[in-house]
Amino acid sequence: MRLPALKLGALSAIGMVLVACGGSSSGTTQSLASDQTLKFPIFGEFGTLDPGQLDAEVDSEIAQNIFNGPLRYDNNLNIIPDIATDVPTTSNGGISSDGLTYTFKLRKDVTFSNGDKVTAKDMIYSWNRAAALQGPYGSNLSAIAGYSAVTKYTKGLKPSKKADVTAKAAFNKTVEDALAANDPKVMMTGLTSPDANTVVVKLDSAAGWFLSAVTLESTTGMIVDQKVIQTNPRDWWTVPATLVGTGPFKMTQHTAKQSADFVSVPNWWGSPKPTLKAVHLDILDPSSQSTAIASFEQGKYDIVGYGGWSSQPKADILRIQQTANEKSQLLLQPKVRTTWVSFNVNPAHPAGGPFTVDKGQKAKDLRTAFALAVDKSKLQSVVCQNITCSAATGGLITKGLKGYLGDGTDPLGKFDATKAKQLLTGADPTGTLTAGLKYSYNTGSPNDDVATFLQDQWKTNLGINVGLDPHPDATAFINDRQAGKFVLARDGWQADYDHPQDWFDNLWGKMAEDSTANTSGYAPNASDQYNVLLTKADAEPLDKALPTYKQISELLSTDVVDIPLYYSVGQFLFKPYAKGAGTNNFFDHFWNEISILQH
Amino acid sequence: MLTRGTLVYVSQRLVLIAFTVVAVSSLVFVGIHRLPGNAFVSERVKGAKLELLLHEYGLDRPLLVQYQEYATNALFHADLGESFVNRGLKITPLVLRELSVSAEVGGTALIVTIGLGMLLGVVAAVRQNTWVDYLLTSISVVGYSMPSFVTATFLLLVFGIWLANVTGGALEYPIGWTGTYGTLAELSVPAFALGFPFASIVARLTRASMLEVLRQDYVRTARAKGLRERVVIIRHGLRNALIPVTTILGPLVIGIVTGSVVIETIFAIPGLGKEFVESILRHDYNIVIGVFTMYAAMVGLANLAVDVAYTVIDPRIRY
Amino acid sequence: MGAVAVAVPEEFAGGTVVREQVSLWRDSWRRFRRNRLALAASIYLTLLIGVAVVAIFWTPYSMSHLGVTDPYAGATLAHPFGGDSLGRDIISRLMIGAQVSLIVGLGTQVLVIAVGVVVGLVAGYFRGSIDGVISLVINIFYGVPDLLLALILYVILGPGIGNIIIAISATRWMDMARLVRGQALSLREREFIEAAKASGARPHRILFGHIFPNSLGPIIVQATFGIPQAILFEAFLSFLGLGVPPPTPSWGSMAGEGLKAIRFAPHIVIVPSIALSVTLLAFNFLGDGLRDAFDPRQKR
Repeated sequence: MRLPALKLGALSAIGMVLVACGGSSSGTTQSLASDQTLKFPIFGEFGTLDPGQLDAEVDSEIAQNIFNGPLRYDNNLNIIPDIATDVPTTSNGGISSDGLTYTFKLRKDVTFSNGDKVTAKDMIYSWNRAAALQGPYGSNLSAIAGYSAVTKYTKGLKPSKKADVTAKAAFNKTVEDALAANDPKVMMTGLTSPDANTVVVKLDSAAGWFLSAVTLESTTGMIVDQKVIQTNPRDWWTVPATLVGTGPFKMTQHTAKQSADFVSVPNWWGSPKPTLKAVHLDILDPSSQSTAIASFEQGKYDIVGYGGWSSQPKADILRIQQTANEKSQLLLQPKVRTTWVSFNVNPAHPAGGPFTVDKGQKAKDLRTAFALAVDKSKLQSVVCQNITCSAATGGLITKGLKGYLGDGTDPLGKFDATKAKQLLTGADPTGTLTAGLKYSYNTGSPNDDVATFLQDQWKTNLGINVGLDPHPDATAFINDRQAGKFVLARDGWQADYDHPQDWFDNLWGKMAEDSTANTSGYAPNASDQYNVLLTKADAEPLDKALPTYKQISELLSTDVVDIPLYYSVGQFLFKPYAKGAGTNNFFDHFWNEISILQH
Repeated sequence: MLTRGTLVYVSQRLVLIAFTVVAVSSLVFVGIHRLPGNAFVSERVKGAKLELLLHEYGLDRPLLVQYQEYATNALFHADLGESFVNRGLKITPLVLRELSVSAEVGGTALIVTIGLGMLLGVVAAVRQNTWVDYLLTSISVVGYSMPSFVTATFLLLVFGIWLANVTGGALEYPIGWTGTYGTLAELSVPAFALGFPFASIVARLTRASMLEVLRQDYVRTARAKGLRERVVIIRHGLRNALIPVTTILGPLVIGIVTGSVVIETIFAIPGLGKEFVESILRHDYNIVIGVFTMYAAMVGLANLAVDVAYTVIDPRIRY
Repeated sequence: MGAVAVAVPEEFAGGTVVREQVSLWRDSWRRFRRNRLALAASIYLTLLIGVAVVAIFWTPYSMSHLGVTDPYAGATLAHPFGGDSLGRDIISRLMIGAQVSLIVGLGTQVLVIAVGVVVGLVAGYFRGSIDGVISLVINIFYGVPDLLLALILYVILGPGIGNIIIAISATRWMDMARLVRGQALSLREREFIEAAKASGARPHRILFGHIFPNSLGPIIVQATFGIPQAILFEAFLSFLGLGVPPPTPSWGSMAGEGLKAIRFAPHIVIVPSIALSVTLLAFNFLGDGLRDAFDPRQKR
């Protein structure tokens, strides 16, 4: 879905008119406050603001205000131009008829916050750098010709075994030096610039998901300033002076685990021009969420839930829902995250268990029994209080995203205790197969409650005692889970962009198995139908590929690979005077859309 | 007081503290590194990329080498390394800053504890068996028998929410923390909450001690001489009541240190206690070791200070 | 029970005053009985143990069954203490929580006694370099704040009630060791020990057959005070999210969880907090009572 640039202009014009109207005193409630500082808390230090390295939601929500790429998503999740003048399409010649060449024309007025002008050279540098660094989202660029050569080379650039403290920075420096020297080993052959404001991208093979992936805000598609990065290849983003991007805001202060401050860039090239003068973040931690909400109620914060922290304590939200003068400040916004229970279906995985595909129909019946024995609507009402989640009845891809199957269409999303018991008695009459089972999960809210719920459901509806296997260390848990060490595990995914490829390439099938990310071990062989369908769909443009993607979704359901549980719902608190503050399913509204009214 | 004996004692203790700190930090170093998880894994960083990151941080080298490097940096460069989770974050400035915040809250809590506790103890003793005494005793019982996280949250709500409601917004404890050292108003309730359970213990001790002292002959003599009652109490009774309080000063300081973990969490204060728990949960090895080592040193020094202070308060004590 | 003639002043020389000869234990029991608070505490604790035992076989509702009542529900006839955030019956969870608190409390003291007594006896009896080394180890353990040590151990050992008991015990055994060491140091000079040594008794016989039984009083008092400390400690760990793993409730984890809803459904935190407080106080009063009872300096 691409909007021509005209629409963006119209939107921003309307935006400016609104602000102007707000300026005239039609009532004191509509005029701007004199202190245009936005204040909100985040509940964990951000990991990095380097677009080439980040992947956490909190990092992304901040960095999206500091960096731009050729394209971006608007609040309706349509792809619109950002640094580029237009979105490449087949009709405007931006995409070649064979789908292998993309042409980006860049605006001539784009500057970094330090005044450096942005040209095609910067875009090529940024994308090569992102590929070479092989950060978590490096694969967004994987369709570009030359990508695999570059990543292969940089993978081999390991510091020597006798590395000392300074060697940690060596890798980044090596890459920067190579890029500065225009070393072809770190430059993707598919990136060329015929003139200073045009970038031509050649792909290895057609990839309908390419634009969706590089448009992903704040990550590998973003433009960064080579001059600045060279001064401090690894830690340039930690210092305000060198955290340079093209966005409407820049960082002025960051005290670790305490606070961070940002100010608007004067004479910013883009639109809407920022009304806020400053943004102040308090960096707390997850156990302080209730306290932060109390601070919000006292007026200390303007927003709660921004920065990727939209999972608030249930009781506070329930209380606010029932408080007359606060109820309107609450927004429940579905997020693009699905949580499910993963079965280990691969006999080659270390976990083993009674659910593996080599055990044929009996194992499948067993999986179906476990799936049907869970009452997802009870989960929604009792565990989530109808606030924090909604039952996953339309497949594993979250409701609202492309590839969603439709409400109530997923047979695994249903609750049928009788059928479940039937299947169980047929598949495991003596109960020996299902003895000693454990459900593994990482602790924290709401996982503990969900685990308790699942245990209770299987006990009540199937008569099976499934033990709980909690892991307080989330990172170790994810590691083990991806290596296939659990029979029943909590699993889930938060979509990066609205394209089914984001799910299917990363979670199941051969591609995921090869990068040790296929929790269930489903379809590890290239010949499996899942992989055949996926390869086909990934190559086609989205509208053509959608039916195939849906087929894949249904395949996951018929093969009973996972038990879908719920789609996450974020809870946000907005003060009525924080105009323009809001969120869509993927990201928070940008800071340059927000203004503080008098209050 | 600063006798040769004291100096010898102090140096012995300092050696012990140093030994403890080294022993403790090495054990923690080994213990944490043996754990299966590490800080880098996330949903997207897996397999080969993970190995590259581990290598970049030197986490795949033999344990002894890692420890050697860590110890050298810590001892000779005062460099406790960098966080693994938040890349580029230097630990030493972070820990020192958070330590000062915790010290600010803890120190204030200590003053509250001793000051308020002794005051209440004296009042209860002087007004023994009156309703004042019973009220104060009951409050102090609640203080040390309720889990501190319950009383702390209760205090936060009373002063943060209820107080504002009752006074129509005129009086309010601002929940949260501004900047590094917060404002006085923001410090008030957390420091009080931290000290309250210990103030109860101090009050109990002071009361018992004061009661005993009030019966002593010399107090009766002083009274007989016609001195004002207040002078009698303060000059004679209080100084002697200090002694039993001083004996528990050591455990008191340790209690405040551990209590700060809970208080900092509830009141959202960026201190060392909160840091410690969070870092453990996220396997940020370097921070965990750094914080733990700092605590061990701090507690050792605090106890030593208490023991030396003991000689000032009770001149009969010699080392 | 024999009668002992006691020398009496002239005024009463007309008759003899007979006084029962009582053993130390009976004497202690008599003093204890007079302490109302301690008695009340013992009764409460006996009832508590009874409830915990009953809970092994029966609770009004399953402690883990979600949604038996509305989440956050207040007190009703069917659920006198209401429901928690997941609609579980609070009374049932309170009963199971009693088990956990008691197991943690008693379990830690068993371990503390086992380790502390042995270490203390050895250090105090043999003295010299053995004592030096042991005292050094004890001082090192003292140099580490207990919560932090327990946290580190918890992380290394992992969750589970057994590991929690180990972690808490590791922070408390030193008090017992020091106490027993002190006892051994003073008792070893007594004549009955010399007599035992002279009659050729082996060290372990002396330690466990003579010194240990004579230290039993202070050991029991120390252990009794240690129980509420351990229970409180476990509540702390639960609040931080590191206590007994779900679905098993402990009073600490119920309180910690209930804190999150304190402004919305305060009963969820109030009920287990009161249970904790009363039980803690009961153990403290019991300890006070035992200490006074065993104290031979009391003249009553």
